[in-house]
Amino acid sequence: MKPAPFDYRAAASVDETLPLLGLDSAVLAGGQSLVPLLNLRLARPELVVDINGVTELDYVREDDGALRIGAMTRQVALERSELVSERWPLLHKAVELVGHPQIRARGTVGGSVVHADPAAELPVALTALGARFHLRSADGARALGAAEWFKGALYTAREPQELLVEIELPAESADARSGFAEHARTHGDFATAGAAAVRFRDGGAALVLLGAGDVPARAEAAERALAGGAAPREAAALAARDVAGDHRRALCAELARRAIEEATA
Amino acid sequence: MTTTLVGSPVARREDERILRGASRYLDDIDPPGALHVAFVRSPFAHARIGAVAVPDGLAGMATVITAADLTGRVGDLPVQGIEDGRVADEGHPVLARDEVRYAGQPVAAVLAESRAVAEDAAELIEVDYEPLAPVLDASASDVRLTEWHRVSGDVDGAFESAAHVVRASYSLPRLAPVPMEPRGAIGSYDEAEDLLTVWVSAQDSHRQLAGLAKVFDRPEERIRVIVPDVGGAFGSKGVAAPETVVVATAAMATGRTVKWAEDREENLIASYQGRGVEAEVELALEADGRMLGVRARIRADLGGYLMQTTAIPAHTTAMLMGGVYDIRAADVQVAGMRTNKVPTGPYRGAGRPEAAYFVECTVDRAARDLGMDPLELRRRNLIRTFPYRTALGWTYDSGDYERCLELAEELIAPERHADDTRVVGTGFGMYVERAGGMFETADAELLPDGRLLIRSGSSPHGQGHDTTFAQLAAERLGVGLDEVELRFGDSKQVPRGVGTFASRSVAMGGSAVVQAVDALKEKVEAVAARLGRDASLGDVAAAEPGLRASARFESDLVFSSGAYGAVAEIERATGRLRVLRLAAVDDAGRIVNPLLAEGQVIGGTAQGLGQCLVEEAVYDEEGNPTFASFVGYSLLTAAEMPPVETAFVESPSPLNPLGAKGIGEGGAIGAPAAVANAVADALGGLDVDPPFTEEKLWRALREGGA
Repeated sequence: MKPAPFDYRAAASVDETLPLLGLDSAVLAGGQSLVPLLNLRLARPELVVDINGVTELDYVREDDGALRIGAMTRQVALERSELVSERWPLLHKAVELVGHPQIRARGTVGGSVVHADPAAELPVALTALGARFHLRSADGARALGAAEWFKGALYTAREPQELLVEIELPAESADARSGFAEHARTHGDFATAGAAAVRFRDGGAALVLLGAGDVPARAEAAERALAGGAAPREAAALAARDVAGDHRRALCAELARRAIEEATA
Repeated sequence: MTTTLVGSPVARREDERILRGASRYLDDIDPPGALHVAFVRSPFAHARIGAVAVPDGLAGMATVITAADLTGRVGDLPVQGIEDGRVADEGHPVLARDEVRYAGQPVAAVLAESRAVAEDAAELIEVDYEPLAPVLDASASDVRLTEWHRVSGDVDGAFESAAHVVRASYSLPRLAPVPMEPRGAIGSYDEAEDLLTVWVSAQDSHRQLAGLAKVFDRPEERIRVIVPDVGGAFGSKGVAAPETVVVATAAMATGRTVKWAEDREENLIASYQGRGVEAEVELALEADGRMLGVRARIRADLGGYLMQTTAIPAHTTAMLMGGVYDIRAADVQVAGMRTNKVPTGPYRGAGRPEAAYFVECTVDRAARDLGMDPLELRRRNLIRTFPYRTALGWTYDSGDYERCLELAEELIAPERHADDTRVVGTGFGMYVERAGGMFETADAELLPDGRLLIRSGSSPHGQGHDTTFAQLAAERLGVGLDEVELRFGDSKQVPRGVGTFASRSVAMGGSAVVQAVDALKEKVEAVAARLGRDASLGDVAAAEPGLRASARFESDLVFSSGAYGAVAEIERATGRLRVLRLAAVDDAGRIVNPLLAEGQVIGGTAQGLGQCLVEEAVYDEEGNPTFASFVGYSLLTAAEMPPVETAFVESPSPLNPLGAKGIGEGGAIGAPAAVANAVADALGGLDVDPPFTEEKLWRALREGGA
């Protein structure tokens, strides 16, 4: 389990990073997914661009009501942020379920979003909160919503020369009631199923399932039902209706119910 | 001076060194200039091998060893027989010759200046594989690697006259042993002395020595095996591994020091596994629940080859199919089948957890069928007089099975109920395990400063020998614990021993220590008598330097036993199983150190619980291991461990001076049966095999209507 040979460059800023990105390069943030993939020789980049020195991307701040999270923010920083716990508690609930403390100490929010593991908690919570993903490249910048960003298992809309720099949560997502429930074989293991539920201040609702497909799956019919006053069990059953496999469907329905009840309590 | 060391909960004195990071594991040994090994392993479960092509580009980068380099110089790994059984001569080849029989089998070894370069080079080697259809299910295999059958008593009569016959079949999955420290070996060869030295992460030095001597056909005096600190084994580092032989071969061939430190992926796919056993069991009972006879057909999925000890666990299972019960008729058969998987071998419990599972689950099934209380059914059949010769031919030396059961019931506080959200049940599992046997050795020497040095033929890999053996020696000689130093693991320094497995260290190694110290004490007292009453050990050492005594302790098997209880809760909506609490009552004879003994019980219980809840080494339909990392092989964490109440019953063994038996495996043996019976109690019957995943239990709940 030693990686295949690669070149290594450490960047100190976004501007230094961008020209290094391309088809044959991989970005090293917290390394919690990339390093095992390198060691297993499943990832074989020619160049590893280390952005651990890019401190300008390490921040969690409120800006005009919106929450802005720098891509290099460690998961533990999100977990310990009072701003997050008080105003976006769903993110706090989700990040606490990511692996173990050692993993959260190194793993980054941006890394989880770019890796796009279907079993990851943060993409599900961020999708439920209506996140936008800000990218930069040597040619410019763009921002995508979750529906455009998550394309499949371990697959996003990021172009090889782009760097995810920030995750933004809209002002409307602040101070919402929320719930997160998941099922994993053992504590800290990858989740096999899960659900995030949000009741926004304006009466809207979001419900996103984990483990019901290759990407965080918005249960839109259930969201509408919830906004229309449906009971948690009813909305949960609706959300899980199309999940493949009878046990998985039952599991998703139960976790959705718990998440909704937590958000409704 | 103290006389109360034995039986005291002395904290492990080796821990400070380990916790400070001062221990020295195999990979901490970093010989300058060593060559590092990476293995080319088969990506196929079954294939014929044609040419192994080494590209020219490798010259200067790496040296490659293939089976062709071993021909005529290195034999296949040895195979150990079983009493009254047949074991095929299909020892594991050191490197694959013209066939590979499991994914992960070593095909070639690559030596380079670093492990990373060795792995780069290994990728470039082209092996011409011709894939063959793999056999992945023992029941689909037509190659028997082992066979054993024993009939004792009037089995047909028992089944004909029985009021009830209970039939059940079981399947226990293969398990990866997963020691914290993977395997590894370092070889070096001194041509002038013609001495091969091998450092190896192993359970003991002398089985490694014997294995190496055999494959190289080399006198044992020309080999030195050194076992450094070892971070666990659970059975998987007992006998010489093919990779260790390759390291030794390479050291002799190149004249360089050669190192192989296994990574986790290799450890998961290529070290021998445990369990992988199915059984069909029939139990004949009278109307009042008296057990008349047992029949069992045991089929083991042994893998592609036989490691030295592969045949043993299923034989142990067979011999224990009467459990703790007075059953006078038995007909038990074992078929060990060849499959295209990594070989199996002893893994914590090594045949005993299987026996306890098969017997105890069948007893609970009988109780349900008869409408009897499962504890009452057990009580009516427990063995109560010792020594007891079983129908199958082992002699249980001592025990108090009823007391164990009584305590387990008291500690677990049985619970059974069902509501809209969950079902809860309680189960028990009893066990009897063979432990000890063969021999063990120790030398005791009075050092010039009056301290005591013990060289033990038995060596530790986490058990705490350094503490328990020091307790025994210090008490016997009447000195403090700090006055005793232990040495282990170097075949040129310690007397020839057997090894650390089968829960045998205290009963065998400890007894040898006691006998060696007693013999030394006689010599010391003779000198002290000459010197006068106040002579200290230092005075004796000065007057008579080099006082020394040795002992070789031999005994028949001793039989530990126990009763475990579990309370299990299953969530209706998801099928999720939570074990709410466990009770562990073990009778390991006299306990030398209750603190360490309890540690063994809890560790074993955690492993036993793991096999019930999550552990399973699954091969896909092509025979690829899906468990090459911890993404695919799940282990329990502390968060899943329920509270465990422990208690000891002490029925001294008459077979050794300590009255000791063994405690290293009881938890792994007793817990699975208790948990399975608790799940069955909650569900009102159980037709699924472990691991008890939420999906299996969810279906069982829906279908069973509990």
